Amino acid sequence: MASGRDVRDMLGLPMGGAVGEQAKAAKKAKASGGVRRIQGVAREVAALYGERPPPVAVYEEKKSYRAKRQSTGPAKKWVQQPFLNQARSDGLILRHWRRKHTTTPALQDGEDTAMEDIESTASYVENCGDFVKYNLSVDLPTFSDEEYDAHLRSNDWSREETDYLFEVVRDYSYRWAVIWDRYDYQPANKSHLTQETVNADAQDALAALPFAPPKTRSVEDLKARFYDISAKLMKLRIPEVQMDADQFNLYEILKQFDPQSERNRKGLAAALMNRNMDEVKEEEFLLTELQRINMAANRLDAERAELRARLESPSPNQQAAAGLASFNTSQGLQQLFSQLFQQDRSKKRASGSGTGPSRLSLNTNDLATPSSNAPGSMSAANRRQSMAMPQSAVAQTPIRTLPREQEERFNVSSHERLQSGVTFNSDKLMKMRQAKSNVQTQKIAQALQELGIPDTIPIPTSRVGEVFETLIGKVSKLLDLRKVREKEEGEIRVLEAMKERRASEAQADGSRSGSTTHVKNEKTDVMDSQSTSGLHHNTSGSVSREPESRGEDGDGDVDVDAEGEEDDDQDVDAEGEEESRQPSEAISSRGISVGRQSHKRSASELSQGSQGSTKRARK
Amino acid sequence: MNIPNPSTAPVPGEYAGDEVSAIVLDPGYWTTRAGFAGEDVPKSVCPSFYGQLDNDSGAQYLFGENAIHTPTGNLEIKNPWGADGIVEDWDTATKIWEYAITSRLTGAKAGDPAKNGLNDGTNANGDSMDVDIDALDNQEKPLEDSPLLVTEPGWNSAKAREKYIEIAMEEWGAPAFYLQKTGVLAAFASGKASGIIIDVGASHTSVTPVLDGMVLRKGVQKSPLAGNFVSNQTRLVFKQSQPEIPLTPHFMVKSKTPVDAGVPAQAMYKTFGVPPTDSFRRLEEERVLTEFKESVVEVWSGPGRLSNGNNEDISKAMPGRPFEMPDGWNQVFQGERFRPAEGLFDANAALQDADNPRPKDEHTIPRLVQQAVQHVDTDQRPLLLSNIVITGASTLLYKFNDRLSHEINQLYPSTKNRLVAPGTVVERKYAAWIGGSILASLGSFHQLWISRKEYEEHGPGIVEKRCR
Repeated sequence: MASGRDVRDMLGLPMGGAVGEQAKAAKKAKASGGVRRIQGVAREVAALYGERPPPVAVYEEKKSYRAKRQSTGPAKKWVQQPFLNQARSDGLILRHWRRKHTTTPALQDGEDTAMEDIESTASYVENCGDFVKYNLSVDLPTFSDEEYDAHLRSNDWSREETDYLFEVVRDYSYRWAVIWDRYDYQPANKSHLTQETVNADAQDALAALPFAPPKTRSVEDLKARFYDISAKLMKLRIPEVQMDADQFNLYEILKQFDPQSERNRKGLAAALMNRNMDEVKEEEFLLTELQRINMAANRLDAERAELRARLESPSPNQQAAAGLASFNTSQGLQQLFSQLFQQDRSKKRASGSGTGPSRLSLNTNDLATPSSNAPGSMSAANRRQSMAMPQSAVAQTPIRTLPREQEERFNVSSHERLQSGVTFNSDKLMKMRQAKSNVQTQKIAQALQELGIPDTIPIPTSRVGEVFETLIGKVSKLLDLRKVREKEEGEIRVLEAMKERRASEAQADGSRSGSTTHVKNEKTDVMDSQSTSGLHHNTSGSVSREPESRGEDGDGDVDVDAEGEEDDDQDVDAEGEEESRQPSEAISSRGISVGRQSHKRSASELSQGSQGSTKRARK
Repeated sequence: MNIPNPSTAPVPGEYAGDEVSAIVLDPGYWTTRAGFAGEDVPKSVCPSFYGQLDNDSGAQYLFGENAIHTPTGNLEIKNPWGADGIVEDWDTATKIWEYAITSRLTGAKAGDPAKNGLNDGTNANGDSMDVDIDALDNQEKPLEDSPLLVTEPGWNSAKAREKYIEIAMEEWGAPAFYLQKTGVLAAFASGKASGIIIDVGASHTSVTPVLDGMVLRKGVQKSPLAGNFVSNQTRLVFKQSQPEIPLTPHFMVKSKTPVDAGVPAQAMYKTFGVPPTDSFRRLEEERVLTEFKESVVEVWSGPGRLSNGNNEDISKAMPGRPFEMPDGWNQVFQGERFRPAEGLFDANAALQDADNPRPKDEHTIPRLVQQAVQHVDTDQRPLLLSNIVITGASTLLYKFNDRLSHEINQLYPSTKNRLVAPGTVVERKYAAWIGGSILASLGSFHQLWISRKEYEEHGPGIVEKRCR
């Protein structure tokens, strides 16, 4: 590793620089080492790590697991604080540990204070209401004796038992399973010595006799009685008409309780629970099967939904549509206008300059005469335009369009709709040159070249643009007509060829004595030739692009200048001529010549056919 | 929910905890558990058996582990619990419970040093004696500071319940009292308000349906097929094996020498001037049997009963477990070790002799569960079956839960049956006490206490009204 030094030596570089550099590097390393000191670790321990940082995180002392105990003064004193529970009425005093409350910080030393503290804590009884919120009781309907006699009597239930039922329901807070479990009504009146029973002991004994063996009542019986009474009481308190929705629902539920159906339901539930192993297994099997089928169906649905989502167009943006929807009607626009007008007026007042002639501000005139084209012309674009160019705004207001001469004179124009942003007229002209297809564009370009119109028009004023637009329209019309003509001509050729062939066939038939088989053969031949000739025409048409354009070169001036349809036709004719003259085969452009040609062909074919037939005849 | 740093104390009121240093007493046939509410383990666990020495001066009672296991002549070992799972001998039961409370929880109060007698020097005159007697009178009530929560079995009679409050109020002077059923408390200990609690204790197995913290009384089932039954079955296994397996308790053995498996023991036996009573020997034998149950006995884990198909052959093929008696006799138990506990589930499989008649079919645990469920409203059955809490020390038998789970799934294949069995031994053994500890330390519970004032107003009948 002494090479660096050697090199320096050889090159005669000073040694001192290297030494200085080394020192600097060492210093740098030291500095960086100093920065990477680990917090919360003793220096000696940190040194053991070496150069590398420890692979696991070292917890810093500041963020340690347990908060450091803060010694704030002497230990707090705790006392067994007697307290009263607010939920109790009997004044039971229990003791719990509480931090000693320091109401009397009078003296800090000596036993006297301790004594005092003890006395004060002994006398002080905390009133503990922390857990009163858990002391809940249920609401029960209540009834008076008169109400019971008038409405709630039942053959099956005595008054005492009804009271007992209500008591039990209160005790067990509507937990019917528990109520039924604990329901143990003793009609012998050991504990239920009510006023009535005392008064009429004998009667009561008689009355109680039917119930002497305590009835075993089912949950449904208990519920039926309770709900029946509740419903009746509810109706008494609030007439049905005055009940609100919740109350009426509750009333309906109470009224419609049917112990029999409830019993049936429970029977079914019990049957469900008491199924044997095989039934359960079968059900499990069926359920898994069902799940499998459902999953397959879901997957299929998901796939279909995805496909549909792909085929459907994206849904329109509802929010944007909703935002603009209010301006679609004339009322909406009028409202908007009045709003703007108000704003404008208040702004004007604030600024103080009331007499500005500029059309920046709206006036009532504008509002009063919303013309028929108001919704269109008052669109946002127009308004923006008026803000941007206040000078031309006069002309642009929909109501005051200038007469044509003045418009020309001042060189202003009114537009139905303006695109936002600035555009060059030359761009517009360029756009007109473009057609949908490349070929068409080329054709247009050629036509324009023939007319001597340069690729870039020097001063593209709006008028020039207009003229250019009409010119382009005519050119495109011309091109369309040419195409139509070509097509028509092709058809004519075909038809004429057919006609000629028929004629020649007729002749051949006449001259020949031939058999039916021959005729058939010929016919098929004819068909073949027809199709091939048709094909030929087509190919020739598509191949002959260059000659066509050449023809255009020749006829171009006349065509554009004349602007007549008849002339167009002539022109097309001429073009067709040239085109059909081109192919190496001797197909003349004229319809007759074509006909002749095809006739010739078919004749030769016929002759071939006749040769074949003669051959066959020889055989 | 954000769980704060475990080292920080919970906010007061977060768990509605409000400890009033209440004492929870959970008396059982084998042990009596007592401790302060709010703690997680009973501080005082002492045997419910007691020793009675009949002297000239009347009966002397010995309580506590140390006293009753010492071989003393004429020491009769008794238990205050009756055969029906209700306390029979109330006087001694009171003493045992008092011992459980005072021995560990509430000692003698630290009185004024000038009066407590410790500093009395030479002059012990009559006056000071009188004062001492007064002080003793005052201290006779061991529970003056602490409200008392006592647990009771689900089938406790109304008379027995009144007896509880009388003891607590009259004899112990508790400021407040409450009685709660073990089933409910065991459910609370597992964090459930509803469920079926299967408690297999020493003398009784009980199945208690609990709904919203209330026992459904009609569904409570009990049977004598429990830990003691398994012990008796083990005795029968020993007796019926060829040759008979000797059962010698620890106290009789002076020294022993190792012998081969199955070979008669060679041990020196102790001799006693006054031989220990039969009841003492039986208690000591029970201790050996407990050891045997813990280390050897296994419940056939199912599926199916032990007698089904070739299950018995499979059980015989399973690895055996060795056991050495206190006198050195030892053997590896294989198929036999499945026999003692099988009777809990299958009455036919129980071993029988003249003293141990065939258990009733309806006393087996699956039948108890079935009966209990039958007596519950149909709508609640699935809920209860999804919270089956297992508690009681006898459920610690190896593979007990597996078997029980199989049996219950056999009975109710269409519901979701879930067994909740605390994993730790302490929680399984003392579930009812732990539930009581939770209950009595709740701030919202304090309004339920029956206070002394209420007791004085209404008499012991208030228990029936308040502790439902």
